[in-house]
Amino acid sequence: MIRIGIMSFAHLHAYSYAHCVNSLPGVELTAIWDDDKNRGKEASEKYNTRFVENLDDFLGLPIDGVIITSENANHKRMVEECASAKKWILCEKPLATTIEDSISMVNTCRREKVGLGIAFPCRFIPAIERARDYIGSGKLGTILAISCTNNGTYPGGWFSEVSLSGGGATMDHTVHVVDVLRWMLNKEFEWVYCDLGNQMHKGVFDTDDIGVLQLEMEDEIQVSHIASWSRPKSFPTWGDVTMEIVGTKGVLYVDAFNQKLNVYSDAVMKAEWAFWGENPDLALIEDFVHSIEEKRDPLSTGVDGVRSVEVTVYAYESAKAQKKVKIKRNKV
Amino acid sequence: MNVGIIGCGTMGKLHAKCAQNLGLKVSKCFDEIGKAGKSFAKEVGAKVSSSWEDLIDDPKVDLVVIATPTPYHYPALDRAIAKGKHVFCEKPLCRTTEECAKIVRKAENSSAKVFVGHVVRYFHEFEAIREQITLGKIGEVGFIKMYRGGASPSGVKKWFQDFEKSGGVTLDCMIHDFDWLRYVFGEVDYVFCQNLTKLNRPPLDYSQVTIRMKNGVLGLVIGTWAHAVGFRVKVEVCGSGGLIYYDNMEGPIDIQLRKKEASQGTIIPESPVRKSPYEREWEDFLGWIEKDEQPRVNLYDGLKAVEIASACIKSSVLKQVIKL
Repeated sequence: MIRIGIMSFAHLHAYSYAHCVNSLPGVELTAIWDDDKNRGKEASEKYNTRFVENLDDFLGLPIDGVIITSENANHKRMVEECASAKKWILCEKPLATTIEDSISMVNTCRREKVGLGIAFPCRFIPAIERARDYIGSGKLGTILAISCTNNGTYPGGWFSEVSLSGGGATMDHTVHVVDVLRWMLNKEFEWVYCDLGNQMHKGVFDTDDIGVLQLEMEDEIQVSHIASWSRPKSFPTWGDVTMEIVGTKGVLYVDAFNQKLNVYSDAVMKAEWAFWGENPDLALIEDFVHSIEEKRDPLSTGVDGVRSVEVTVYAYESAKAQKKVKIKRNKV
Repeated sequence: MNVGIIGCGTMGKLHAKCAQNLGLKVSKCFDEIGKAGKSFAKEVGAKVSSSWEDLIDDPKVDLVVIATPTPYHYPALDRAIAKGKHVFCEKPLCRTTEECAKIVRKAENSSAKVFVGHVVRYFHEFEAIREQITLGKIGEVGFIKMYRGGASPSGVKKWFQDFEKSGGVTLDCMIHDFDWLRYVFGEVDYVFCQNLTKLNRPPLDYSQVTIRMKNGVLGLVIGTWAHAVGFRVKVEVCGSGGLIYYDNMEGPIDIQLRKKEASQGTIIPESPVRKSPYEREWEDFLGWIEKDEQPRVNLYDGLKAVEIASACIKSSVLKQVIKL
């Protein structure tokens, strides 16, 4: 039996992860801790587990692994607490809001000899796995250019409070695609140019709701990426992850969540997309469980987390400087 | 009015048809490739001129269509304007901004009316997008993504693939989107561009342009000559109160043939409407010639579009933001 705890339901993904933990055989959602007592209690009732108010009590439980789904800026503190309690860790993305924090988190976990993984479910989407295989097999030839999007709906709440989130849509929606591209191509990012702003939500919040990134990967691969909260409330779904990958032998198009039905319901009076694909969160949690059993890091490691934070932080720096900036890869 | 057509390729044929449909006579034609000129002449009932200069100088030619590879636009425009002939010039107006500026100046001092074929302004779907924006259906526009392209065209002597001549996908193809963005949102503030010119891998080109309009609208424009087949146009406009999405693959008609005919020239997307966007631009041009009604596109627009595309190409070389 693998025992899992969840720290904080500030991030909506916590609900999906809790559901996944409960649906895996041989895995138990042992306890929930949350600095928001009501939210934690409610979640514990929903997922049939106990709520522990005191953090020391929570970490004193015989829990093997902890999923951290707090606000971005609180990841570091919680990772440190879990690591010193010798818990395996799966941390929500982005790993941290600064490069320094992300590196220090990786070092802490190494020192305490616990595994650290980042919740990058995109690596577990079958279409993305397939795309990686195509690229790896050389079917596309040499990769020349890539255009990506990770669009979403404004999630509300702390996501636009920079002190908690570290930034807006660019902070929220750059890291998934950065991680996937690094994983698919086995190459790093060299520089980034980013133009961003609050383009669609003036008066609602101050931080950026879209970032348009231009990047170069090793071997001069040109990449563009849109990280946004540009999907309106009336949009049929939450958003997308798409990639157009141009190689010397052909072009590959990935629309990762395009396994859906079009549903027209008078009850909601807007078109909806009903997703029928496999839930990538389930495979993500399964990998986390295996990583505990096998005493290894999860598939996306702390170093992967640092790399995606670096790209994001330099994207903000570029936007401020209004020019492209080199991405320094720190030793970790 | 008699029309003379220089450049008897895909676009030359298309413009001959438009002119004829509007009751004009295509009397003369010329193509660098003798055979192309002859078969074209037979098709449209025109006579082949001995040179492009003769065609322009011919007193019986009132209107000159320039549908040649881009580098030949400037000398043909220059001569036609000097002779006071009306001109329909395909986009891009000229290969360089400097040439465009000269043409604008010369046309100002001439009775010739020079029209540049920024046909996207006349596409029904683009008119509809503009109308939805103007109606305020999606609130205030904050971001736009435009996508255009497909398989790489080759053209006569593969001129498209010589990026020095064609300007690659950035100048030849994305100029449509740059012009349309100016048309709808006003002037451009700055651009940042990456394309495949750096790798020198013709016929493949793929261009990604970050564009900031002076009114604050942010955009990403993607142009491709790197696809295996087809021609795709996509537009996404994001506003404070909604989103518009257009994809030319979602159309009312689709034909699949078992045997694929290899296409040499530019592939023109099918937009099945009674009056094609090309006929509509011709009507607009004729309205200007005959009734002096200002057309939707003027020569200055042609200059500005080349200026934007050139800034993008410069950005891709310098890897810098280029202010306009």
